Amino acid sequence: MAELSHAPSPGVTGAETRLADWRAHALDFEREVGQVVLGQERVIRLLTIAVFARGHVLLEGDVGVGKTTLLRAMARAIGGAYARVEGTIDLMPTDLVYDARIGDDGRPRIDPGPLLRRGGDLSIFFFNEINRARPQVHALLLRLMAEHSISAFGTEHDFPHLQVFADRNRVEREETFELPAAARDRFFMEVEVKAPEDRDARRALVFEPRFHDTDTLLRAVREGVVDHRALGALARDIQAAIHASPAIRDYTLGLWDAVRAPAQAGIRLPDVRMDRLVQGGASPRGLSFLIRAARVRAWLEGRDMIVPEDLRAVFPEVMAHRIFFDPVYELRRDTIARALCQAAFDTVPAP
Amino acid sequence: MRCSIFSCIASRLGRSIAAGARRGLPRLAGAGIALLALTAGPVQADSVTLLPARAFGYFLGDLVRVEADIRLDPGFALVPAALPQPHKVNGYLDLIRVDLSPGPLTADGSSYRLTMVYQNFYGALEPRAMEIPAVPLRATNGEAPRDLLVPAFVFTAAPFRELVPSRGGNPMALRPDILPRPYPLRPEIEAITVAALVGTLALLALALLQGWRPFTRSQRPFATALRALAPLAAAPTDVPAYRAGLITLHRAFDAAAGHRLLADDVAAWCRHDPRYSDLSSEIAGFFTTSRRAFFGAEPAAAMEALPTADLLALARRLAHAERRDPRPRPPAAALAAEGAP
Repeated sequence: MAELSHAPSPGVTGAETRLADWRAHALDFEREVGQVVLGQERVIRLLTIAVFARGHVLLEGDVGVGKTTLLRAMARAIGGAYARVEGTIDLMPTDLVYDARIGDDGRPRIDPGPLLRRGGDLSIFFFNEINRARPQVHALLLRLMAEHSISAFGTEHDFPHLQVFADRNRVEREETFELPAAARDRFFMEVEVKAPEDRDARRALVFEPRFHDTDTLLRAVREGVVDHRALGALARDIQAAIHASPAIRDYTLGLWDAVRAPAQAGIRLPDVRMDRLVQGGASPRGLSFLIRAARVRAWLEGRDMIVPEDLRAVFPEVMAHRIFFDPVYELRRDTIARALCQAAFDTVPAP
Repeated sequence: MRCSIFSCIASRLGRSIAAGARRGLPRLAGAGIALLALTAGPVQADSVTLLPARAFGYFLGDLVRVEADIRLDPGFALVPAALPQPHKVNGYLDLIRVDLSPGPLTADGSSYRLTMVYQNFYGALEPRAMEIPAVPLRATNGEAPRDLLVPAFVFTAAPFRELVPSRGGNPMALRPDILPRPYPLRPEIEAITVAALVGTLALLALALLQGWRPFTRSQRPFATALRALAPLAAAPTDVPAYRAGLITLHRAFDAAAGHRLLADDVAAWCRHDPRYSDLSSEIAGFFTTSRRAFFGAEPAAAMEALPTADLLALARRLAHAERRDPRPRPPAAALAAEGAP
């Protein structure tokens, strides 16, 4: 993968060529993941955007729809190490960092835990059922996400290539610790993973034997399609290369206003009092994430400019979980948030 | 008809005594007894006088008003409980009202005006005298009661018609119905007219507001846009005007699609609305140009790709296309299948 490594070279043309090469590999990456995870093209596109924007993702969805397979396939295609932790109510922060056990010689031993075991090469860390873990664990994870480093064994450990994927169980509420709004705001995207709707895909998943053995299936994914060590610099290059015109800036602000004050924007939703629906949120950090995601999407589409379609393609996943509703409407959050995002795009004129 | 019960009794007593004398009693003795009888109590000046009233010409159902002036001795008053109450007097007469009002006070006693209203129910076939019976009253001074009598009153009941018709024809034949009087309806008609007018105006306003056919404000957004773009022909190289023209056409696309139409939606929209399917490549070209102008920030380059004249021509073709039937045309194969036996 030496030819895919990010090596800065002078000149605009050189940078453009490099971005074009990288784009081809990004599309390869999508194809490799897509051949083992069927019927999830939109989810794969969103996660690809997150990978090239270096953003952490919170996944939501039913059990057994292929979240883990998807993440393992991505880890294999990206290269680098993959670690996974199951969230439980008695999990403590130290359990992520240290592995305390009795050694072969009968003496207690403290070894590196799941986070440290693979060293700084860790590229994907999957935290399953994050809302089953305690807030102390959330705090450690949020620090890891924000700073890409933790303290252990008296030293700082850096994870420069780390991307965190967390899964939230939304079916059960007993013995769970709901993520606070501030924690959810740190995630780049919240992506819902549903069972595929395409009949052919569903038929294949159920009847084709290759989908029954995950390990064998994942071996079909080509390793190291992209170089995880180059992703950070590439992400910076993408953000610098894709420009946002004054018109798209005005359009983005129009969307922001529409979701913050939908009543003033003339948005009406059935059975919702628009003047009290939105209590807050849609933070500037969220908007900056939106533009980051839109730039990566534009790059994947082969453009050097953001267009409204880029914003529309990532808006619900990047913005919906940052909008805080009146408690009356929280139980219908999914439906209302989706309708509000759609209504914002139906209302704000482009250009 | 002036009378008093006591004076009558006295006179009758006097006459019987006088008759006795003629049967041989000494005249003096008779006169003395008569004098004794007359002077035995206080002299009564009570009187009941009927007021003159019409005594003829009463038909079935007519009211007969009997009024009497009653004058009592000083210290006496009528007993209210002894006054007659409205009641059925007999088979053809009802007493329907009794009024007692004070008469003028005099130095020698008190007086009353008693009014009794009767209703005659006697359907006479020929004129006939009917009697209203005398009505007893009672007065008292707190010690001794006195009885008075309102005299009977006789009136003549009259028939409605001849007993035997003297001329031809049925005198009891029903007369023609009275024609109904016209009811004045003008205020109601005015109110209904105003209400109908207000209702129609409200319905019209609602139709305009809801965009019901044929009251939709603009069924032809591209025709409206074409009119708005007309000044552009005079300034084909004016970049700000060109940008404004692109935005005008974008708004027309939004109105035609019913939502904000983005470049990625064009193909699906053209499939959905077959009026524009012929123009899909030109519409896609417009959106590509618009992207360059607005999001690529290259309005001059966009103007080269789609000059003003071409923009106006596209608007003209869109305005022409929107006049077509919006219903999807069935494919030729389907038409052939319908025609097959």
